[in-house]
Amino acid sequence: MLRQRENPDSFKAGVLSITVHAILLGALLVSFNWKTTHPVSIAEVELWDSLPAVNVPKPEVTPPVPVVKEPPKPEAKLEPKPEPVVEPKLEPKPEPEIAIKHEAPKKPIKKEPIKEPPKEPVKPVKKTDQLAELQKQLLQEPVEKPKKPPVNDALKKLQQESLSDSGTSAEPKVSAAKAGVVDEFKAKIQTKIRNNVNKSLCGDGNPEVKFEIALLPTGELGAAPKLTKSSGIAGCDDAVERAIRASEPLPLPEDKTLFPQFRTLKLTFHPSKD
Amino acid sequence: MNASSDMSFFSLVAGASLPVQLVMLILIITSLFSWWYIFIKVATVKRAERDAEDFEDTFWSGGDLNKLYDSITSHRRKPQGMASIFEAGFKEYARHKQQTRMDVSDVMEGARRAMRAAYNREMDELDAHLPFLASVGSVSPYIGLFGTVWGIMNAFRGLSSVGQATLTQVAPGIAEALVATAIGLFAAIPAVIAYNRFASSVDRLSVRYESFMEEFTNILQRKS
Repeated sequence: MLRQRENPDSFKAGVLSITVHAILLGALLVSFNWKTTHPVSIAEVELWDSLPAVNVPKPEVTPPVPVVKEPPKPEAKLEPKPEPVVEPKLEPKPEPEIAIKHEAPKKPIKKEPIKEPPKEPVKPVKKTDQLAELQKQLLQEPVEKPKKPPVNDALKKLQQESLSDSGTSAEPKVSAAKAGVVDEFKAKIQTKIRNNVNKSLCGDGNPEVKFEIALLPTGELGAAPKLTKSSGIAGCDDAVERAIRASEPLPLPEDKTLFPQFRTLKLTFHPSKD
Repeated sequence: MNASSDMSFFSLVAGASLPVQLVMLILIITSLFSWWYIFIKVATVKRAERDAEDFEDTFWSGGDLNKLYDSITSHRRKPQGMASIFEAGFKEYARHKQQTRMDVSDVMEGARRAMRAAYNREMDELDAHLPFLASVGSVSPYIGLFGTVWGIMNAFRGLSSVGQATLTQVAPGIAEALVATAIGLFAAIPAVIAYNRFASSVDRLSVRYESFMEEFTNILQRKS
């Protein structure tokens, strides 16, 4: 391998050779940034129990209106009998209350449906008289309407069930409040979607589009929105469907117990109307 | 996959597959040897040039050739380079000179043959290891490339079994495979440079030796 005359140099050359490799290795380790400080891609995720509903406080403010308006009627009829309420502070309360409410709801609620329906048709007839009154009544209508079904339900319940439990008396109030919230949010969903509809696609007429949407508790769509009634304009149907998809997440009330009412929603749109 | 995958040089080498590691080992050994030969060659070629310089100085200084021959042969060390050519030629010339009945042209022929033989031996010494450097220079990039291709093949084969392919899954495999090419190039580049440089140095030395042979032949012819 080595010539005889190369022997004196061989050791020195070997040392130099190893030195060169050591230098190269050192250069390799120094010059390269072997550190693997990966820019760890942290995706910050905020976990929300419920929807970040910006409008949530409002529904809580508005529903009290129907709640407040309702109670006065039974309470008003409670007033005549304050004595039993005051004397037996806690225990006797349920009995008188229920007894009262039995009597009370029947009367006012039966009166209401009778009174109101006439009023509504009557006043439109009187159109010419007072616009202001009409407006006031119209404003009251949405508040009053939700009351009816729950109150009727409560009535039936009250009639059917025994009079012992005090809890039943509270139900109508709560359910009425809930109904208010449900309607509130249904309206919100509707307006949110409507704002996203490209109205120019729906022509000059007044097409009506009906969609059935399935919602998840997060406010997202559980399934593709189902077209139940077409407007006859394919572009308009698509525009509304796109608007529904674009509106995700849809506003839902914070109260999770109300969600079942939002699981499937039937929405009617008049895109050109607004 | 894992963000903390160790990409340090040693872990890359250690994490490579066996063929790639073998290729790296072969290349590192080759590189060590080629550098060893390079340094040996640098020393021997430099010494041969210096010796030729020194010998030419003393030879052309006009001293007695017999004295020069004596001083060369008196060294313990076997004469090298130009001195060995002179020694072989002069010895042959002196030997033939003693046999007076020989023709001048025969004496010159004999001396010339002896010098030619010495010259070939010297050239053989000077050319030593140059073929090795040439081989390293031309082949080691291919060996490194082979290791790299093998490593990348492995990296991509591993990728095929993963549903979602990301760069982090291939990157370590390719990086460790590329180390093989890096080592191959590191072995090849100096070898090629050294080969070219030594080849030219040896050529120049051989020209010097040959011209010395011609000139010395002329001197011997004048003497006889």
